[in-house]
Amino acid sequence: MTRLHDIGIEVRNESAEGLGAGVNAILYELTGMLEALLEDGRGNAIDLRGLPLAPGEYEQLRATLGEGEVSAEVDALGPTKIRETAIHGVWWVTHYNAHDQVLAEFLEVIEVPQLLKTERDDIREGLDLLNERLAALGSTGAVEDC
Amino acid sequence: MSTDMTLLETLRRQGVSRRSFLKFCAATASLMALPPTMVSAVAEALAKAKRPSVIWLSFQECTGCTESLTRSHTPTLENLIFNAISLDYHHTLMAASGTAAEAARESAMKEFDGKYLLIVDGSIPLKDDGVYSTIAGRTNLDMLQEAAKGAAAIVAVGTCAAYGGIPHANPNPTGAVAVSDIIKDKPIINVPGCPPIPVVITGVLVHYLTFGTIPDLDDKGRPLSFYGDSIHDRCYRRPFYDQGKFAKTFDDEGARNGWCLYELGCKGPTTHNACATVKWNGGVSFPIESGHGCLGCSEPDFWDAGSFYTALSMAAEPTKVVAAAAGIGAVAGVAVAVANRVKKGSAKSQHKTTTLDDLEK
Repeated sequence: MTRLHDIGIEVRNESAEGLGAGVNAILYELTGMLEALLEDGRGNAIDLRGLPLAPGEYEQLRATLGEGEVSAEVDALGPTKIRETAIHGVWWVTHYNAHDQVLAEFLEVIEVPQLLKTERDDIREGLDLLNERLAALGSTGAVEDC
Repeated sequence: MSTDMTLLETLRRQGVSRRSFLKFCAATASLMALPPTMVSAVAEALAKAKRPSVIWLSFQECTGCTESLTRSHTPTLENLIFNAISLDYHHTLMAASGTAAEAARESAMKEFDGKYLLIVDGSIPLKDDGVYSTIAGRTNLDMLQEAAKGAAAIVAVGTCAAYGGIPHANPNPTGAVAVSDIIKDKPIINVPGCPPIPVVITGVLVHYLTFGTIPDLDDKGRPLSFYGDSIHDRCYRRPFYDQGKFAKTFDDEGARNGWCLYELGCKGPTTHNACATVKWNGGVSFPIESGHGCLGCSEPDFWDAGSFYTALSMAAEPTKVVAAAAGIGAVAGVAVAVANRVKKGSAKSQHKTTTLDDLEK
């Protein structure tokens, strides 16, 4: 027996036949958040680390929300994995550190998670950088030569 | 690095992108137990925050609190936070020693007079003029009083600094006391735990960085964001308590099914800490999830509050109460509170040692 998963531990959830109490509460909260998003465009989020989930409930929540069409990875201070769940508008966002340990985990209810958007200051920096590169290539000459 | 630079400037200079900063703020808001909607407010405040000077004094302690922090499993975040402060003195971590180390402390105290954050771990022995713990030939009492004078606020890290902890346990041979027993004219934030959860230590630092104020505290001086709920109230085994399902020994059917550990001496109902949600070892588990009751290490006099394996209150008799009334939580809660006061009173006069009988109960 050399690895942790070789140890025969069976996670038993008392409410395995139905939804766990924690999962149930989260799903109802998500319902309210989706309604608010539709109504006035107000995004919201649930911090999964702040919730006392019983063993097995996390997996149950993942299975219930399912996999959606979009997934993205942001490389900033270690990876952040962003997936839209099968419930459109509900995103599962997991922030990892450089050692692949979870820093924080959220369920975001929004059109596009904030982290994926490019901020205006960054767009300005992007424009400056592009101009610099054009200048280094001989500015407009580089374009005319093409 | 200059303390005039803002946190965002410091991080940007280290090559941290804006997205990384936003991620840092999201993780920070999470560890401060703030609502996720506060992330942008945290980002705005942290972007403008100045790097504070921090002096860390270790007194009568085991270094477990520093170990907890430096061996934390979210190094990226903790590193960033520690890069965001100017740690001017910490005798375990600093490269300098002897006269050079003490000179660094004195120079930081002079330069940032009235502005630095003082962190203390360990209790302070008062008996026999404090001779039981000295640094560079000076007593802890002397050093604390001197450093406290110019501090903006004091963070008492660990149960020893917050409440006297294990050195203070009966019979307290060194006359150990808490920081708050000595310093009366400065704001003191208690971050108890033996040791405290690393993100709770950094969470308090970040709160100070973000808002420039100390967080809201409970009646024992602890930040409400981490110590506002009892372990019992946030425990995933709580539904079993409400159903009257208890493990009676550490290897019976109840224990195997993960039922409530109340009858095996779990101190969760009277203990306030974030273990049940933040957890330990990078969020892997916490003592109750590993099958052992809570010891109550973030409460005053936890070492003298009776055996770790004796149920908090015999009067509550949870299984009997549940048979008689549905509202066991409320009934047992009152009984536990009363019993705990009685136990703490009696614990002062006699230290109880855990025996084999306790373990086999």
